[in-house]
Amino acid sequence: MKTIHFTLNGKRTSVDVEDNETLLHALRERLGITSVKEGCGIGECGTCTVLVDDEPHYSCLTLASKANGRDIKTVEYLSSSGVLHPLQEAFVRSGAVQCGYCTPGMLLSAYSLLLKNADPDAHDIKEAISGNLCRCTGYIQIEEAIKNAAEVCKCNSQG
Amino acid sequence: MFIGQDITRVDALDKVLGTAAFAHDLKKNNMLFACVVRSSRPHAVIKRIDVSAARALEGVVTILSHEDIPGENLFGAIKKDQPFLAAGRVRYKGEAILVVVATTEEAARRAADLVSIEYEDLGNISDPFISIQSPVLIHDGGNLLSHRKVVKGDVAKGFESSDVIVENAYSTTWIDHAYMETEAGLAYLDDRGRVVVASSTQNIHYKMKEISRLLAIPPEEVRVVQATTGGGFGGKLDVTVEGYLALAVWHTKRPVFMRYTREESLLAQTKRHPLYIVYKTGARKDGSLTAVEVNIVGDTGPYNSYGETVCLRAAVHATGPYEVPNVLVNSRMFYTNNPVSGAMRGFGVPQLALAHESQLDEIAGLIGMDPLDIRMKNALKRGSLTATSQALNHSAGLLETLKAVEPFWRERRKEGPGSGFGLGCMYYGIGNTGISNPSSCYLTLTPEGRVEMHSGVCDIGQGSDTVLLQILCDALGMEEMGIDLVRGDTDTSYDAGSTSASRQTYISGMAVCNAAQKLKKYLKEHGHYDGKPLKEIYRDAGDKGVPIFEGHFDPPTTAPDPETSQGAPYATYAFATHMTQVDVDEVTGVCKVIKVHAAHDVGRAINVSSVRGQIYGGVAMGIGLALMEEFIPGKSGSFDNYYLPTSMDMPEVEAMIVEDREPTGPFGAKGVGEPALIPQAAAIVNAIKDATGVRMRQLPCDIERLKLALEKDKENKG
Ligand code: FES
Ligand code: FES
Repeated sequence: MKTIHFTLNGKRTSVDVEDNETLLHALRERLGITSVKEGCGIGECGTCTVLVDDEPHYSCLTLASKANGRDIKTVEYLSSSGVLHPLQEAFVRSGAVQCGYCTPGMLLSAYSLLLKNADPDAHDIKEAISGNLCRCTGYIQIEEAIKNAAEVCKCNSQG
Repeated sequence: MFIGQDITRVDALDKVLGTAAFAHDLKKNNMLFACVVRSSRPHAVIKRIDVSAARALEGVVTILSHEDIPGENLFGAIKKDQPFLAAGRVRYKGEAILVVVATTEEAARRAADLVSIEYEDLGNISDPFISIQSPVLIHDGGNLLSHRKVVKGDVAKGFESSDVIVENAYSTTWIDHAYMETEAGLAYLDDRGRVVVASSTQNIHYKMKEISRLLAIPPEEVRVVQATTGGGFGGKLDVTVEGYLALAVWHTKRPVFMRYTREESLLAQTKRHPLYIVYKTGARKDGSLTAVEVNIVGDTGPYNSYGETVCLRAAVHATGPYEVPNVLVNSRMFYTNNPVSGAMRGFGVPQLALAHESQLDEIAGLIGMDPLDIRMKNALKRGSLTATSQALNHSAGLLETLKAVEPFWRERRKEGPGSGFGLGCMYYGIGNTGISNPSSCYLTLTPEGRVEMHSGVCDIGQGSDTVLLQILCDALGMEEMGIDLVRGDTDTSYDAGSTSASRQTYISGMAVCNAAQKLKKYLKEHGHYDGKPLKEIYRDAGDKGVPIFEGHFDPPTTAPDPETSQGAPYATYAFATHMTQVDVDEVTGVCKVIKVHAAHDVGRAINVSSVRGQIYGGVAMGIGLALMEEFIPGKSGSFDNYYLPTSMDMPEVEAMIVEDREPTGPFGAKGVGEPALIPQAAAIVNAIKDATGVRMRQLPCDIERLKLALEKDKENKG
């Protein structure tokens, strides 16, 4: 066991973890962040996606100890100001959510994309979520939602 | 008006916030963890089980076997033939033998690994053609689970009067549902000592009954709750974790949680049935179909699950959505020692669509007719007789779906070598085949003056909760959605039947309409439509209280004749046409789906966005079925070697909604869940033929298979 310190959704956080413990396990079991999902446990599905310094990572493949000193974001961050992020808003409106199991991971991959690329084209969007499997939606309404959210974010930042 | 609008789904907010409680997220203080010990052999007698090392492990609370089951050890939706825990014999690799319960999940899994089991192998029946002749019996009654026939007219005469006859064999393989959330649940005893199970499921009332039989307690002593469910597609219809959880809580009296790993879900849960199809089609020079003769052999694994259902549904849908005067179908389902195959989106019909759509294209090619024209010529329409001689008196919009894609079809232009286009059509009977499959619900008022809908329908992500609310609002003529939804709990709802067979919009939607009518009458009598608020109506009801208003619907069907399957097995049918453009790299064998026009007659789209969502999701699953998904027993252990379509595999999809209203459905609606998938693989295979000249008759036509076929074709031509 050792104690790690990191920023979780904007807040300084400390938690004791085992040496071989995954970040997924630490978040879900020790910190109660159940929005981070486990779909496969071996880096093949993307439902466990979190942002490490704003880059998407599979938390099932990330050692918790590697989070030490880093900035970790889960989907809770997106609405931490009390209002829905334009991406969340767009996911709700565009029918991008069916069973919803992939949704938190999708949102984080999309959020990371928009940080780097405010004006993504269709291919950029497809690529950004290509590591997140969804068995329900066929991805199309998710891609529409990301496109719509990008527009809104652009307007917000210009306005 | 709520119907036909893009009403935001009621479950979406919790899901984007990450607060929705999926089965995987359930927790209780002091809870234990269970896991299952599974067979490593396909067919064997269990000689000895040694649990001493496992029991000695710290944290292990108990290890349960079939001997610890107080009630009946057999379950099954159609036939009770599958043991919860193997009783001395295993019939497939992955069959459950023991349940280990421990204080941590890790301890439970480690203990499971420490159990040692001695087997004596029995003959392994690894395919249905061996099963037919094998002296080894998987069940006492023999290895044939089911044989269904469709007999209409006289096929011999039909073929005699044909100008062309085409006969080919097709085959498909196991497909995994691959819902992103694996099977999971939590069980506990409530303060009255009743067994409560919350799980990822498609049917709460069925599972309540199975648990009551397992524990030999009355159904009232069991409560089943649907947790937010991360996908189903048919795979969460059978009992999964629920039985083990109920047994564990029964013995330990403590809350118990369990979830399958992905590996375990792939190994042990049901699959889509592999079907082997020999298909003979006869037609006249003008393209009209004269006769169809089909032989289907299916592999259900060692237990029925939904094998009988698939056997029959495949048979009655075997001709596809066409008028065929002479039909003979023999559909046989055999037991094997392969994975258990069960319900999966389409119940055998996507497999048959591969065959009937390929056949139609071959006929068209021989007589020099356009693939769209031959479909239009034979399309079922109002007044047509289906293969079971059911007259289609109501909604039958296949022609409209063909017309919707027609302009794109006629304008199509190949974009160089390897480019091609294909069509796929389908029809699909909504609801269970020729048996009663009712749905019930009830409505009441709350003190706050809202309508309360009690629904036992399991929303597995397809959006039925929202659709039923939309239907109720319009049925009551509400201007705002003043409805509280109480859902997914056997304590607070009536049995709505399973979320399967694309039945919830149509059947449960009608049950809601039925209840709404009664509530409306009551509200009218109590002055609501003259301006009296619901709150006052509730208050004035006083001690007597507002009654509950029950709604029921059971679609009118007739049981198929046992010898010929003639009859009206479904009250209504959905129809669809998918036009698909592909690009095949003739050197590498990579087939890319470029564009899909998917036209669906849904009767009426209650929620347009959700209908589109079903169509897109169906296209994705169809691409998987056609090009990449193949569960290979003993090999496919993870998504590392079971490939699912990603965003990069998706084409542009144009969802085209056709609304030929169904008078017996809620506001004209039918269903779309399974139809969205059914014609897609067939359309891709036809497009590959158009692109390369090579006809693929075995699914999936993945890179290796396609490459091999292209090379062979070259050799033959060279
Ligand atoms: S759970 Fe981490 S990638 Fe699937
Ligand atoms: S919405 Fe179900 S997996 Fe994406």
